[in-house]
Amino acid sequence: MKFLLYWRCLHVWVIGVSEEEIYSELSEAVVNYNVDAAVKAARKAVEKGLDPVKAIENGLSKGARIIGDQFDRLEVFLPELLIATDAMKAGLDILLAELPKDQTLRKGTVVCGTVKGDIHEIGKKIVAALLSANGFEVYDLGADVPSSKFIDEAEKVGADILGLSALMSSTLAAQKDVIDYLKAMGRREKYIVMVGGGPTTQDWATQIGADGYAKTAPEAVKIALELVKKKKR
Amino acid sequence: MVTFLDVMDKALTGKPCSEKDYTLKIFAARLREIVKEHGIKFDPQIPIPSDDGLADEIYKAAFDFFVEVGTYCRDTERIIKFDENEIKERLRTAPSEVIFGEGRDAKKLTPRKPEDKTPPWCFLGAGGGPVSTEEVFMGLVEGYASIPEVNSITTPALTSVSGLRIRPKSPLEALGAIRNAVLAREATNRVGRPGLPIMNTLATAESATSLAIAMQSKYGLRASDGYMIAVMDPMIVDFDRLNKVCAALSLGAPVGTCFDPLMGGYSGGPEGTAVANVAHHFLSALVYQASWHLPFPLHIKYVCSSTPELLWVISTSGQAISRNTHLLSLNLNYAAAGPMTEMCLYETAASVTAAVVSGLSIESLGVATNKYEDRMTPMEPRFSAEVALAVAGMKRNEANEFVKALLAKYMDKISNAPLGMKFQECFDMARGKPSEKYVELYGKVKKEVEDLGIAFLY
Repeated sequence: MKFLLYWRCLHVWVIGVSEEEIYSELSEAVVNYNVDAAVKAARKAVEKGLDPVKAIENGLSKGARIIGDQFDRLEVFLPELLIATDAMKAGLDILLAELPKDQTLRKGTVVCGTVKGDIHEIGKKIVAALLSANGFEVYDLGADVPSSKFIDEAEKVGADILGLSALMSSTLAAQKDVIDYLKAMGRREKYIVMVGGGPTTQDWATQIGADGYAKTAPEAVKIALELVKKKKR
Repeated sequence: MVTFLDVMDKALTGKPCSEKDYTLKIFAARLREIVKEHGIKFDPQIPIPSDDGLADEIYKAAFDFFVEVGTYCRDTERIIKFDENEIKERLRTAPSEVIFGEGRDAKKLTPRKPEDKTPPWCFLGAGGGPVSTEEVFMGLVEGYASIPEVNSITTPALTSVSGLRIRPKSPLEALGAIRNAVLAREATNRVGRPGLPIMNTLATAESATSLAIAMQSKYGLRASDGYMIAVMDPMIVDFDRLNKVCAALSLGAPVGTCFDPLMGGYSGGPEGTAVANVAHHFLSALVYQASWHLPFPLHIKYVCSSTPELLWVISTSGQAISRNTHLLSLNLNYAAAGPMTEMCLYETAASVTAAVVSGLSIESLGVATNKYEDRMTPMEPRFSAEVALAVAGMKRNEANEFVKALLAKYMDKISNAPLGMKFQECFDMARGKPSEKYVELYGKVKKEVEDLGIAFLY
């Protein structure tokens, strides 16, 4: 016990602040949706030689989970969630650069967007933010995205999941178009396809052969985690 | 006077800005500050406040906010701004009455005040909810047109044309929009109300091209119908929507703007959403040159307007607009629960009451969050109209107690609301009559609601 205390004091003395303090700074930067603070804390973690994996898990990811829960309870709102995601990404860019090239911490890679003809993005942005917060690498293609662009991007970044959002009943069919396109290219089995958005239902997802459907953003994260785990098994 | 050409000029010469910066650094950031500066505070115990000072403070905050923040044009990536004088002049000269419809179905939409006994305008139907077939579409619109209190129709949206699913901006959408117009007019003819105005234009026409094709008079739309055009949250417009405005104005038709600031979204909490809701009225009057305005603030998680926060937003922003302007504003409500459920009727009663006692008219309604095909019937908007007429003239403090009693009946189920039944499942489509069970449930809820302190007209 005495040894541990001595080691800890020495450690703090040598590096100025404890590991826990830096984890806490990283976490708080995300919770306080402060991009500059996230960058500063991540650089500090690198300078002090902290394990980037631990810094991400105990710092940034912890903060992201907190802000995600706060958003779910509507204690914070969409702007805070989006800026917190930016803070998390800024910190991640710095810490991930320290990892050996063959090591990945990502739970999976998602290419998402609102389908062709639909310009509504809010729901999709929330899902993208929560997926990022839960360890996915997310490539958000924006709105009015043609089927081919989803697939080209997925091929380019080696995606696990294609996330297709539609807000209008008239744009739902474009979700099926992406699946048809994948089938025509012989790549349907390569990707997990998830659908969501206002008029989307489980019946519709089943009808068009999607792998996953979620009514809410937190559900989408849960299902994405399960589907990726199953795929990688 | 600000003309539509001036709007386009501003859209092309306004300050350049990315959409991300506009939404996060300008809109959301300034809204948060302005709510604090004006000391606006939501009280969950008072979903319908009687505080005129609060309503006027929300109005002032919204005015300052709109002057500072403006409207974002996605196609030009610029901010359209108006100065105080331009806004005041438009508010002074905006129409204070509009006649919709023809013949004996023609009626004047007029502004109301809080606690006003003037019957609210009842714009009834599906709120653009999706339907699977033309048969369901016809059955519903005939039902809506048969509601005794109806002043205008809000149609459903077709999702297919002759079995082919509609694709946005495609010829299928244009063909669907034509059928939307033809069928809606045929439905009002069938029930002997040929002059009844259709006020959500063409729910199936998402693009300006489809609207322009389907608004040819031979398909049944008239200049005396309402031409409703959407704004994207938060205060974002684009060329496609501005083209719709151009098309409707060229017809000499009254443009209406629908907008849905999301509570929990860019507008933040209920306070910011109330301010944004009022500011959207200014956008509507200036950018879209609208004659009438259709707010439908929604809860970002539950996609309905029946939570305490949303009732407060409807009420305070409604009072702000009706006390300080003569703008013609109708609130559209969404219920979380579906047809033939007690909850849907309770939710509707609460949202409609919040709007009517606060000086608004109504559009009603989106049932089961307005996302499920065929999950709507003429019974829910009929109930809305009966409640709307019953509560016209009610004091706000009495309305507050009334909606609190209603909230107690459904709030514990809001996150997992029952979807109820489809139109085909609880209506005899051939006869256009609700099932006995639905009639029984309707009567039961009506009695319960009456026991809570309102007197139905019949």
